Amino acid sequence: MTREAIEAEIRRIFLQEFEIEDPAMDVDLREAYQFDSIDAIELLVEIERFLGSELTMEEKKRAMDIRTVRQICSYVEELVRARRPGESLPIGDLCKEGS
Amino acid sequence: MQRRVVITAASAITPIGHGREDILRSLREGVSGVKPLRQDDLLAPFIHSQVFGTVDYPIPFDFKRVNRKTMGPVSYYACQVAKEVLEASGLEQEFITSGRLGVAFGSTHGSPTVQREIYKVFHSRDRAGVSSIGAVDYLKSMVHTTAVNITKMFGITGRVIASSTACTTSSQSIGFGYEAVRYGMQDAMLCGGADEYDTTTVAVFDNLLACSTDFNDTPQRTPRPFDVRRDGLVVGEGAGAVLLEEYESARKRGATILAEVAGFACNNNGGDLILPNLVGIRETLRLALRDADMAPEEIDLISAHATATRMGDIIEAQAISAVYGDRPLVTALKSYMGHTMASCGVIETVLILYMMQEGFVAPTLNLEEVDERCAMIRHATSIVKTPVRAAAVQNFAFGGVNTGLVLRKEP
Repeated sequence: MTREAIEAEIRRIFLQEFEIEDPAMDVDLREAYQFDSIDAIELLVEIERFLGSELTMEEKKRAMDIRTVRQICSYVEELVRARRPGESLPIGDLCKEGS
Repeated sequence: MQRRVVITAASAITPIGHGREDILRSLREGVSGVKPLRQDDLLAPFIHSQVFGTVDYPIPFDFKRVNRKTMGPVSYYACQVAKEVLEASGLEQEFITSGRLGVAFGSTHGSPTVQREIYKVFHSRDRAGVSSIGAVDYLKSMVHTTAVNITKMFGITGRVIASSTACTTSSQSIGFGYEAVRYGMQDAMLCGGADEYDTTTVAVFDNLLACSTDFNDTPQRTPRPFDVRRDGLVVGEGAGAVLLEEYESARKRGATILAEVAGFACNNNGGDLILPNLVGIRETLRLALRDADMAPEEIDLISAHATATRMGDIIEAQAISAVYGDRPLVTALKSYMGHTMASCGVIETVLILYMMQEGFVAPTLNLEEVDERCAMIRHATSIVKTPVRAAAVQNFAFGGVNTGLVLRKEP
């Protein structure tokens, strides 16, 4: 699964579930879109659906510090890797934090 | 500190219409909002009573997702009437968020529609299903969901009172809101109640043999308060809200004053949780008059609770007779829309306000032959054009809770 595919899915979730169209990658979601703790929990449910598996409590707790869409994409990327250890992402798809 | 309290805005979503003009038209034309019970995938096929006070017209909810995400159907109703009341009031945004405005709003169950979905997960014994319980399901279904969704939507920071006493929920909301303003704890209170379509409520009353079953093929002919052929209540849905303000500040800001809340009383029968109690009800009516410092002769109109149950209507007629005699007109507004449960008190208050403004009294619908045991009071059996200077709204609930509100047209 490519970084672009993850990002596209996150954008789809934001549009369909949270009615936030084309969110900026690096803005604080709470400040920019009133994305609150309830939305964060709902997002985790959507990510579980996307991955087709439940998140562990540890994985969920790690998500609580996330503030931006880019961080969400990286978080999902890590989850994908953890579930499919043999699958590598193309170098070009790996956008680092803040890049 | 004792201040005077006035109503400066009102709105309702009812089975006979949404807003003043629709509702007045239905009252004048004798339109019933009772329809065949809508089917669901749960209880409807097993319920003997196949009638329901139905809101079957579209409502243009225009709420942002940030507000919608914590709302079940009952909160949609609640927030819509709250929005309409705040808009009609002309209150400044600065006041609304100042802490001087509070909310008193309730429902019978929170949102049974949402609760039903949660129960499905509980009973599925499916581990994967547990995580499908949404983060917001509790916020949508908790018993104070209507009150706090209103505070959230409008940024209201005053006190919150979330009555949940079944049929007296919203009359308590108005009464407790009135007391909060009267005694100086808030300068204004947004008060009301709501209940959504729900067959569990119908099933409960059906099992108690309290629901109407004889008119399943002619829904508009039931309920029949005080009539010899009454055979029980009809459950309904709806919402209503009123804005209460301290009189002097309302007058100074030029607000439209619909009426004064002159008095309120609430008591309990102190015993049986179901059977109507003449002593308890009679005492409530007297206490409300005493709180208003008014004599029975000053009341022109009584909005009876009158659910059309066999015993309830007789006990209520006896209580009215004991306190008021046969001078005031008595109308039973549930005859138009069924028993809208948590919202009945405020809806009936709103309808009384409309009639006060228009100078007429709508008759009790389906009252074709008065039961002789209820005949000692002055029933409105046809439209009466008359000034209504003061009115009493009374409601009684399971649990032995009784409420009485006294409204005066001119403060």
